[in-house]
Amino acid sequence: MNWGIPMTERDLDNLDVFFDAARRQAADPSPDLMQRVLDNALAEQQRLAAQAAPQARPQRAARGLLRQLLSAIGGWPAVAGLATASVTGLWIGVNPPAAVSTTAEAYLNSGADTYLVDLMPGFQFDDMAEG
Amino acid sequence: MALDALSDVDDEALLVLFANGDADAARSLNLRLTPRAFAQAMRMLNNRAEAEDVAQEAMMRLWKIAPDWRQGEAKVTTWLYRVVANLCTDRLRRQRSIGIDAIPEPEDDKASAADGIQDAARIKALYAALDDLPERQRQAVVLRHIEGLGNPEIAEAMEISTEAVESLTARGKRALSALLKGRRDELGYSDD
Repeated sequence: MNWGIPMTERDLDNLDVFFDAARRQAADPSPDLMQRVLDNALAEQQRLAAQAAPQARPQRAARGLLRQLLSAIGGWPAVAGLATASVTGLWIGVNPPAAVSTTAEAYLNSGADTYLVDLMPGFQFDDMAEG
Repeated sequence: MALDALSDVDDEALLVLFANGDADAARSLNLRLTPRAFAQAMRMLNNRAEAEDVAQEAMMRLWKIAPDWRQGEAKVTTWLYRVVANLCTDRLRRQRSIGIDAIPEPEDDKASAADGIQDAARIKALYAALDDLPERQRQAVVLRHIEGLGNPEIAEAMEISTEAVESLTARGKRALSALLKGRRDELGYSDD
């Protein structure tokens, strides 16, 4: 062998001896690796399934009566508005502004006559019994 | 056996089944692709423990990308070659940066003792020389000459042109030859 010669195609071909040795090297995965990879795969599938599930969850959560009522009126923000209106109403009842008092008095204590208007004078309950 | 039913299904279709929660598809993909990923990593790193880590990580990435896999864009095997090659390159870079010069003894459990010793010496010399190559040259040489891929496939895996692959492998082989030349006598080289 003459290693002193410049690089030739034959030298490059000789690399195949090294490559062949590397190719012959056992490169089978261990059963343990196969199992680990499969475990990862199945765990990932479960994670994907769990990710898809939350879309169904709100419907189940809305089963309670209070929850149904809440969702019907628009949730907790609507309850806040409702509470404000209630407190305001109570306050007006306890300490009514002058305008409200006057109007209320006009309706309740005016002494005005109450009129009874008979829209169908010819109609009597007896007629129904007969017919 | 349920896996037989999937033997004719291509990798992309199996990925879709996998993303839909089909456990048989997971098993089938594992049987098809993990040995490939491991063999490639083993040939790039020449270290069983590291190669197992790389193969597991590459397959984990495949499981995670399955729901978003774009059909028809790249072959699953080509994508896997790319991921394994990049993971191996990262590891080799880290090894170099902390100055590990110990090349692990190659494993050989089937060749005869004499052949085994010679093979082991060659493999050790080869990987020592590969360690001195630039990363891209090493990647191209391993994929072409040890993994046995064609240039177009390597080009796709490395995201470069076929001409660039040819240039990388040619330069890589020249450098390897030069590096190994000095060690041939001590390797008891007698094969030509």
